[in-house]
Amino acid sequence: MISKIMAAGLSRRTFLKSTAITAVGAALPGASLAAGEPIKIGFLAPLTGAVAAWGKPGLDGCMIWAERINAAGGIELPDGKHPVEFISYDNEYDPAKARTGATKLIREDGVSFIMMLGGDTWPGVQPVADKTGMLFSTLLPSDLSPDSTTLVAPAEVHPIYLVTGVDYLADTYPDAKTAVICAQDDALGLPSVATYLAAFEARGIEVLEEPLLFDPATTDFAPIVTRMLSSNPDIICLDTCYSDYVHPICEQLFQQGYAGKMISATADFYDQMIAKTSKEFMEGFIFQFPDFDDPALAGDNINFEDANGFYEEYAKRHPGQWGAVSWEYASIMELWKAAAEKAGSADPDAVLAAMKEGGTGNHAFGDAVWWGTELFGIDNALVGDWPVVVIEDGKAVIKGFKSIPEWYDQHGDLLIKHMQAYNQMYDQRS
Amino acid sequence: MLDLLAQTGLNAVYAASYISLVAVGLVLIFGVMGVINFAHGELFMAGAYVVVAVYADMHLPFFIAVVVGLLFVGCLGLLMERALFRPLRDNPLGGLVASIGFLMILQALASMGFGVRMEFIPPVTQHVVWFTDSISIPLARVYVIVAAVLLLSALWYFLKRTRFGWALRASAQDPQAAELQGISIAQTAKIAMFIGAGLAGIAGALTAPLISVNPHMGHSVIVTAFIVIIVGGVGSLEGAIIASVVYAFVHTFVTTFYGGVIADITGLSLMLLVLIVKPTGLFGSADRA
Repeated sequence: MISKIMAAGLSRRTFLKSTAITAVGAALPGASLAAGEPIKIGFLAPLTGAVAAWGKPGLDGCMIWAERINAAGGIELPDGKHPVEFISYDNEYDPAKARTGATKLIREDGVSFIMMLGGDTWPGVQPVADKTGMLFSTLLPSDLSPDSTTLVAPAEVHPIYLVTGVDYLADTYPDAKTAVICAQDDALGLPSVATYLAAFEARGIEVLEEPLLFDPATTDFAPIVTRMLSSNPDIICLDTCYSDYVHPICEQLFQQGYAGKMISATADFYDQMIAKTSKEFMEGFIFQFPDFDDPALAGDNINFEDANGFYEEYAKRHPGQWGAVSWEYASIMELWKAAAEKAGSADPDAVLAAMKEGGTGNHAFGDAVWWGTELFGIDNALVGDWPVVVIEDGKAVIKGFKSIPEWYDQHGDLLIKHMQAYNQMYDQRS
Repeated sequence: MLDLLAQTGLNAVYAASYISLVAVGLVLIFGVMGVINFAHGELFMAGAYVVVAVYADMHLPFFIAVVVGLLFVGCLGLLMERALFRPLRDNPLGGLVASIGFLMILQALASMGFGVRMEFIPPVTQHVVWFTDSISIPLARVYVIVAAVLLLSALWYFLKRTRFGWALRASAQDPQAAELQGISIAQTAKIAMFIGAGLAGIAGALTAPLISVNPHMGHSVIVTAFIVIIVGGVGSLEGAIIASVVYAFVHTFVTTFYGGVIADITGLSLMLLVLIVKPTGLFGSADRA
């Protein structure tokens, strides 16, 4: 029978894909919930492996968030309050495992929403999302495309927020006029490189040579640092390097005598970086992810319930483990909860419609707009202000919030130019 | 430009040091046991985690942690020899598959015991040896270079000048003839596994404060080690050392002047070139190829 179908012109891959998707679709649970029944949320991210640092801390944060919400009664729908329950699946940052995980979460666990890191794993999940209509979130808006209407990026607008750090650097250190960039050659590194190139160009900072791309399997960064320092730059840009790279690169910069400015997307576990270098060396290090005990996050503009208390609880349970994503998945849940309560339903379509109603939304760092048609082909990224964080006297300090849409209004053409050069526009990605 | 060349040369010497420790251990195990030990990268990882436990967590001196790393991983090698390779002595493919299983067990144990994130290891020393204003090498890297020279020299002396070393070489060259001469194959296998695994362990322990220690760190190390032993000649200790130096210099200089991705391509191309021109490797014999 199967051979007859194949002979009729259906490829085996298409047949298997269609069969799998049909099976998932047929098994989708009803969206209705019994009164008091838990609302299940899928957490589909790397919990082991090299990228686990951008998955596991997020799950830890979600657990704290869920306890707080459940202690307050849960998520309020017309039929009463429902506790929230997270069901995790370790995709090991592998597209095939991510697809299996998405299928399992939808089919067997009956989740109402799935949160992902995205990146390399999204192509594995996309067919499942497209067929089932399940609402997914990603931390990486570079996953967005007009083909997937149920994928949203409501927390991290990677890599567009990086422009705010460069703006701060240019404003604060006007004499810093030259830079070099290094990055791992992957789905996180390349769009980030394009964004930094645009941001540096917008502020008249010369990038001295082609960005140094390295294999993600690299362990010895001395040759890369030697090369970067040979240009004698005012600024070293560490792009969106994983913490496994940021730490040894900084240590090498310190040991090879660098004394200029440093900018990076993240500085996870910066206390360890200070311990490996010195407080003086790390002073002024610019990055984008604050500690949530920062007083600036207690302001009325912040849409994250008791950010300081959340950090305190996280630090108590997971000492020394706070990282870039510790709060992000929880902040997505804040947005999802508000949308579900507004829609009066956990149904993915209803929640998505409520989430995007009016074209605005409450991002963790302030009011924001649903945006992205030019860059992603769809306005499913929630974009507003983003904090610029600087290490001062050994502690991360928010130096201010800067508007991403305002930057884009002025320099969007530069960003598109560099994104195109690195084949990172939505219509260039395969 | 000269400064850049000199600094890159120093970087390459460090890379050659730890690569040669790992590669020589892998070659020694293959030479005596006839087994490709896929878990060798994880033995390197185990050595690094010993430093996490003994130096970072228990706050014992770094060099004690390094010695413990050598002994602990050497004992892991003995365990592998007894539990995996000896029962599969006549089945090299079985040994290879068993070593893949063992590497997964070691990765899982590291994840369970220490978590999935990279481990923080305080710097052993922040002292940097400066040759000029722009040429330097951190003292912690000098330790790795000195240790590699001492250990490989000691290994050379052991293999060439001691009775155990002769027995080891005889077992590697012709196990049946060696056995007829009264050499215990089981005994030499144990010694080879202890030394081979111990070298990987001490390489991991020495470099642990300089790299990211995580349960998957062995992957890139084993890939590099395989390239090196293929270039040097599978089964040749001298070939492994010389190929380590060649690979480290080529990779480091290409990384510095053309980029890391091109360096990886160049390293693999070097291996392919050797396989085409001299399939037994630069110093390999047809018997072992």
